[in-house]
Amino acid sequence: MNETRPGDAMLTDWREAAGRFERAVGGAVVGQARAIRLLTIAIFARGHVLLEGDVGVGKTTLLRAVARALGGAYERVEGTVDMMPTDLIYHTYLAEDGRPRVEPGPVLRRAEDLSIFFFNEINRARPQVHALLLRLMAERSLTAFNREYHFPNLQVFADRNRVEREETFELPAAARDRFLMEIGMEAPRDAESRRALVFDPRFHDTDALIAGIDADVLDHAAIPGIARAIQHGIQASPAIEAYVVGLWEALVRPGGAGIRLPGIDMEALVQGGASPRGVAFLVRAAKVRAWLEGRDWLVPEDIRAVFPEVMAHRVFLEPVYEMRRAAIVPELCRAVFDTVPAP
Amino acid sequence: MRVLFPVLVFLLAVSGAAQAQVRSVEVRTPRAFGYVLGDVVRAQADIVVDAGFTLQAASLPQPGPLAYWLDLRDLRVEETVTGDARRVRISLTYQNFYAALDVRALEIPGFSVTFESAGAHGATTATAQVPAWSFTISPLREVVPPARENPADYMRPDGRVAAVDAQPLWWRAGGFGALALLAFAGLARDRAWGPFRARRGRPFAAALARLRRLARTPDAEAAYGDALRALHRGLDATDGRRVLADDLPGFLARHPAYRPEADALARLLATSRLAFFGLGPAAARAALPWTHLETLARRLAAAERAA
Repeated sequence: MNETRPGDAMLTDWREAAGRFERAVGGAVVGQARAIRLLTIAIFARGHVLLEGDVGVGKTTLLRAVARALGGAYERVEGTVDMMPTDLIYHTYLAEDGRPRVEPGPVLRRAEDLSIFFFNEINRARPQVHALLLRLMAERSLTAFNREYHFPNLQVFADRNRVEREETFELPAAARDRFLMEIGMEAPRDAESRRALVFDPRFHDTDALIAGIDADVLDHAAIPGIARAIQHGIQASPAIEAYVVGLWEALVRPGGAGIRLPGIDMEALVQGGASPRGVAFLVRAAKVRAWLEGRDWLVPEDIRAVFPEVMAHRVFLEPVYEMRRAAIVPELCRAVFDTVPAP
Repeated sequence: MRVLFPVLVFLLAVSGAAQAQVRSVEVRTPRAFGYVLGDVVRAQADIVVDAGFTLQAASLPQPGPLAYWLDLRDLRVEETVTGDARRVRISLTYQNFYAALDVRALEIPGFSVTFESAGAHGATTATAQVPAWSFTISPLREVVPPARENPADYMRPDGRVAAVDAQPLWWRAGGFGALALLAFAGLARDRAWGPFRARRGRPFAAALARLRRLARTPDAEAAYGDALRALHRGLDATDGRRVLADDLPGFLARHPAYRPEADALARLLATSRLAFFGLGPAAARAALPWTHLETLARRLAAAERAA
């Protein structure tokens, strides 16, 4: 990673590949340019992503499109109330000869080649399953059949329905902290995309739509190396370091930073969160964004572009404000950027 | 104290043991004549009974209307013991509503009062009869007054009122008006109304002043960074939020006065990016020399004054 010139050329090539990847996914999932950009950033930052949104806005379609364009082995499970961690690891059944068999389950089936593990409706699964996922996400490894499995290329994509609350289990703070981003998905707003989604038969058959995407636009096996190269190649000046620390301080102690929101006691708003890991993730994602924008140094706009998705779900409010979280946290993020001086 | 004179003395003949218990009943009034419509008529009934007899309060007449022309307004009882007798004084206040056309005698009806003596062998009662008494009332005016040309002449002329000096009232009104204005001024100051509204600051003018001070500092590189920061603070203060390079189109849309400087501002922000986050202040100084910076600051301050 230290030889700069070849690295630079490689990064440029990969930037073009990333552009092709975005266009390929964007051809199938219309009106979600921001979500696609954020997913691309997550892929090159090697972070796990939680998609959150209404029913039928295309969460699953987007993730399937990404999985197809990314290539590599892809596994998918649906979260249910009765799902147990072993259901992910082992597949138990009675064979034709009448004997019970235990074989690798969804996570282990593709073994080390697994590049995308897609967990649908993650909040329907029990905390036990979340705990297993926690290790899988944090360490990219798993113990089964008396040995360690490693998944160097693994990325976990999960989605969660924002509307339903019955028979669901809120993700523990530790699990949420391990997701690089929580991306909120809305139905497209512009009339053009809406018309196309409703009337163009191409969007009605999801399988055909996904099959129409160029497969393996990116070489998934090379992405971890590229991700490391990006992190080393993009420079962060002392000014941007001071800026990020300033943002962090203002987010955790908004009252001290002089932020005032109407009707809220700023001293008693934020309970905790915004972990060092979260801020490190923030810088990682921002560096990928700088790289995608064709720069080899970070600017405050990079931080701002990924801040809500990376940081908002890591802030924990006092219980009295938690119910109004959806309104307060975006407002807080906006106020933090309006308050902390950039240069 | 007006002298009461007896109108009627009613002494009961001592003819039996039962009557001996009430020794005398006497009604006194201030006068028996000279009353007109609406006058209060006072009377006082003094009853002397043997010691040991007490008045039954329930047997007293109740205040209220007695006849269509007569009300009993008030009734009070005083008891005193003198020797072996008990003196009960009932003060009665009547009001007369008889509209008389000539002088005429009216009779206030009498009433009876019961006394009781509770002994070892049972209770004994005695009744004292307060007699009716009469007084004369007079009309208020002539029955047929002499005819007058002007009906208004029947009425008395209006009383004369002394002229009031209005000057102190005017002074007082003026004083309170001034106080009200003073209080309103205080409120306006508290609420930042009108002339107390904070004047819009001139952030770019401040930035220009800072730039001029910085021009005299020996460390050119540090001064350049501070100058960029000063201009950033000017932009931030103008917009009320932090303006990053990508926010320039939004800034110009919100503050059209700076639109002529769009290119120069874009160049400034790109240079600042370079200075703080990119290649460093040296490269930035090469891209945008100090003189350009100062020119831009001057033009921004001018646009700010014009806005």
